[in-house]
Amino acid sequence: MAPKSNAGKENLLTDEAEVLQAVILADSFNKRFRPLTTRKPRCLLPICNAPLLDWTFESLALAGVQEIFVICRSHPEQIKAKIAESRWSKTGSGIKIVPILTAKETFSPGDAMRDIYTRGLVTGDFVLVMGDLVSNIRIDEVVKVHKERRKTNKDAIMTMVVKESGANHRTRSRADYAVFGLDSETSECLHYEPVMGYPPSTVASIPREILSAHPDIEIRNDFIDCAIDICSVEVPSLFQDNFDYLDIRRDFVHGVLTSDLLMKNIYCYVAKEGYAARVQDTKSYESISKDILSRWTFPLVPDNNHPAGHLYEHRRGNKYIDKDGTVILARTSTVGSKCLIGSSTKVSDNAQIISSVIGQNCIIGEGAIINDSYIFNGTTVGPGCVIERSIIGFDVNIKENTRIDKGSLVGDGVIIGPNAHLEAFGRLSKKRGIDTMADEDEEDEDDYADSEEEEVEAAQGTINVNLGSGSNAMLWPQSAPDEDENDENVENAKNQRFMRLGDSASDLAFSDAGSESSDEESESSDDDSDFDKRLELPTSSSTSLDLPDGSSTDAIAESEFRNEVRLSLERAFTEGHSVDNAAVELKTLRMASNVSLSRVREAVVSAIVERIQIINGGGVPQRQEIAHVISRWGPLINKIGGVDPVETIAALQTHCASSKRLLLFGQILAALYQDDIVEESDIRKWHQSLVSQGLSLSPGVRTDNIRKCWEIGSRMIQQFDERDSSEDDSEEDEGDAGNNTDENEQDEEEEEEEDSEDIEDSSGED
Amino acid sequence: MTSDPQSTANQRIVEDLVSRLRRRQLVGSRATALETLLVLRQVVSKARFSNIDQLVNIIRSVGRRLVDAQPKGLYILVTYISYSFLELEHSVGNTVRKVLHHIREEYHTANEQPAAESSFSIAKFVLQGQPRKQATIPSSESRVPLKENDPDDPDSFARVLKPVLMEAIQDVFDELETVYDNISKNAKDHIHSDEIILTLGMSKTVDSFLKAAAHYRNYTVIVAETAPSYGGREMAKSLSSAGISTFLVPDSSIYALMSRVNKVILGAHAILANGGMFATSGSLLAATAARSYSTPVVVCAGQFKLTPLWNLYHEYGALDFGDPSAVLCFDEGDLVDKVDVVNPYYDYVRPELLDVFITNYGDHPPSSIYRLLKETYDDEDNEL
Repeated sequence: MAPKSNAGKENLLTDEAEVLQAVILADSFNKRFRPLTTRKPRCLLPICNAPLLDWTFESLALAGVQEIFVICRSHPEQIKAKIAESRWSKTGSGIKIVPILTAKETFSPGDAMRDIYTRGLVTGDFVLVMGDLVSNIRIDEVVKVHKERRKTNKDAIMTMVVKESGANHRTRSRADYAVFGLDSETSECLHYEPVMGYPPSTVASIPREILSAHPDIEIRNDFIDCAIDICSVEVPSLFQDNFDYLDIRRDFVHGVLTSDLLMKNIYCYVAKEGYAARVQDTKSYESISKDILSRWTFPLVPDNNHPAGHLYEHRRGNKYIDKDGTVILARTSTVGSKCLIGSSTKVSDNAQIISSVIGQNCIIGEGAIINDSYIFNGTTVGPGCVIERSIIGFDVNIKENTRIDKGSLVGDGVIIGPNAHLEAFGRLSKKRGIDTMADEDEEDEDDYADSEEEEVEAAQGTINVNLGSGSNAMLWPQSAPDEDENDENVENAKNQRFMRLGDSASDLAFSDAGSESSDEESESSDDDSDFDKRLELPTSSSTSLDLPDGSSTDAIAESEFRNEVRLSLERAFTEGHSVDNAAVELKTLRMASNVSLSRVREAVVSAIVERIQIINGGGVPQRQEIAHVISRWGPLINKIGGVDPVETIAALQTHCASSKRLLLFGQILAALYQDDIVEESDIRKWHQSLVSQGLSLSPGVRTDNIRKCWEIGSRMIQQFDERDSSEDDSEEDEGDAGNNTDENEQDEEEEEEEDSEDIEDSSGED
Repeated sequence: MTSDPQSTANQRIVEDLVSRLRRRQLVGSRATALETLLVLRQVVSKARFSNIDQLVNIIRSVGRRLVDAQPKGLYILVTYISYSFLELEHSVGNTVRKVLHHIREEYHTANEQPAAESSFSIAKFVLQGQPRKQATIPSSESRVPLKENDPDDPDSFARVLKPVLMEAIQDVFDELETVYDNISKNAKDHIHSDEIILTLGMSKTVDSFLKAAAHYRNYTVIVAETAPSYGGREMAKSLSSAGISTFLVPDSSIYALMSRVNKVILGAHAILANGGMFATSGSLLAATAARSYSTPVVVCAGQFKLTPLWNLYHEYGALDFGDPSAVLCFDEGDLVDKVDVVNPYYDYVRPELLDVFITNYGDHPPSSIYRLLKETYDDEDNEL
């Protein structure tokens, strides 16, 4: 916490007149734009001829932000230089921009947040955005709402801005989105469930506690997450405390919402007006370009408020041609709708440009066809070339009659052709060693990029593609060879296909879905479906298949969790921990492995049941054993974070049904009843529920067992009924006894033992 | 611009206004006009100059900077301030021109030259409005109180002239203050009892014009909703609250109702040199419908909406498009991808479709607009 010399001054400023601060995370922390981003940070990629960072600055300037910290990791010199030369650092811009260099070891947004904390950058509520934001939302109004809320509720630490869009909007990522559970009145975010394109999921589980605590809940699967967060000053410190938080959404938001200890609230702001989206992958690059050209971002449109300060003339059909008169359009050339052409660009005869963005100083050769493509400054496209749905970097030279198929990315300075053909989704970059001399000043940067390029070069031997004579390009292998590929990661290869420009990924969306509804789930669904409200996601609902795939990620996580619980309870049992300590340990476990409360309950119940030793011959010793275990550990069941006796009984039933301790079910239930862990009414409620009768299950040994348990329950209830009618007096006695001395308790226990004996006897007849 | 320390301060003020204009944070024509005048006043008060040309250059460069910020494909510079309730502000250029004009006028007065007289009327327009070509003053003419290019005291010229200039800018302020009243004062001569008037959009000028007439006459107004901005709804509310019998109708029924309408009254966003105008989208529809029933079309606009430009390239629109979300909701994910939505702000209405302009300086047919332009601005300022 050593503020820099000027940071001190800023603190003073903030105290005087609330300066609205913003933090831009100017690093993507992923590689989706490779090879365009090997030698340049993503936030400097141009979209509609202005660097992304400028769009972000303009978005923030619209909101009246006065001080911006730009957290940069890769290629910080370039970002610094860009900021210095941009119009924002000129007088009169009204904004103070401070680039912050963070360590190379910052590998996630979470690390960056910890860095913000250690540097003590922010002094009050601040706006947190990514460096690839395009927005015209009035963030200042969101800040106002946030501050207002903070006055009454100190725990409202964050407001996330989301935009309604409908599930199939082109700007909505199909690879990485989320289901939000909102309180309808306060728009407090109650549940956040990230969803990926692959592995696909068809259900979202809303924890039961949320449903019981909030009468009106909206479950929304139609939001674009704008990644604009209004954070209070505690947020960076929370990241500091929880060093394992990596992603702001998946870890932080999820962690805060599910935590029983933090007691913090996160709210959503559903933007009705305005536009906001992130250029998070090549697919959204395309859709946001189109949104800008069709003026959804108004007033941030090229002819009005172009962030790089260019002036464009808007022609009918959303064509934008640079206004300075240096653009040469041949008479026979065609410029279709939704095009943007930068200054000094020359379009030759018979060339066709259709919904594309052409940078400055480009030359489009005769008869070239450019369709849905994005060409950066200084690129030459030779005569007769065809470019479909691709992104072409700076100063690329595409020689005549070259064909570039959809989804291709061509890195800066590449020369291809003539007569080459780049297959769909090809990625090209310039071979190394040509201008390493020039780049020497950023050596460490190159090291990083080089190591990757080396890999690519190593793979060159196996790739044999005609890129034309005189080409300096190398083709990147189709998908990154990643040994520890893990489907859980957002960056898994299949999921990345949803982020790829021009890839509809229709084969993925409709083939192997449904791993969520696998064996493990359906096994426990007898009690589970009652507790977790299941929600079909409209995007992929009808496509799920029931694959007998027991090794699904969820199942693994769950069995791991069960194991962990068992181990931790065993430790608690053998080392004789107090119930409270064991409960805290369980809560932590639950947060760490992100499972619902009912799972924890099941695990605890089964662990306790397994703890009870089976004593041959049964009878009194067995009953004593049960009473001992339950009185020692039973209270734990209600201390794991929520009290739900009905569920406890159900968990006990399901566990006993598949365990050797089936015969003990009645006795254990009686013991739980005696220790007031379950009440009579709970037993009745459980008994009435359909699931407890095992009706919904296919017949089998297990179902029979469940049935047996239920019958034991029936007898118990019969006894309750009998006792209710005949033993009113003794119940009153019991009530009195609780307050009396040991002796009385002894009596009472005896009495109860009689009760349970009755129950046990009846169960023995079975 | 001269690069002395003051100019950086000036630049800051100008840049601030520029960015607010570009971000559309400054909306509403009155606000824009006042801000522009304030900036100009500040610039003039801080500027250092030793002859009239330097001063004019300073103001022009500010004007050019502001005009560049104007969100316009076509280089439209509306005569100074538009009072129409339209989102776009193109008034800056005209404000600058008007100030320049006033400054020259003051300069001439100070040099005891006759200034061109204003006050115009349709009755005697033939007699008036000779172009003032003598605007550029040879510096040799400088006289006793006004010493230009004085080597001993380079600021003397500025010192003498500045109070006068401030007064000139104040005049523009005053003119803006009174423009509604001046337009509305003859309203009762244009609207007669038991007439049915059709109007559309929300125009402050038309609003005050109709309300002024309501003091004397009993008439009915039909207001079209004017989608997608729905300014008509606001207009209808405002008129009916003033006790005028008002109908709000959808845009689609304009033609059907036209046979019953006695007069169409429109507001203008900009009046072009050929007598045509840019007006809120829907105006062309109303004007065309009126033409087929030979219903007179009356345009109410301050004289400052005159703009010395022509609409050469676009037959029907002003090519200023807003946000498509007013037409198509962003939630309609599937449609957004497949449909190109255009949401034009303004229609171009040809002069043949219009009958008369009612301005704060009298009534004019479209064919005499060019003379008014000559009168209001100096030719050399047409290109800022």
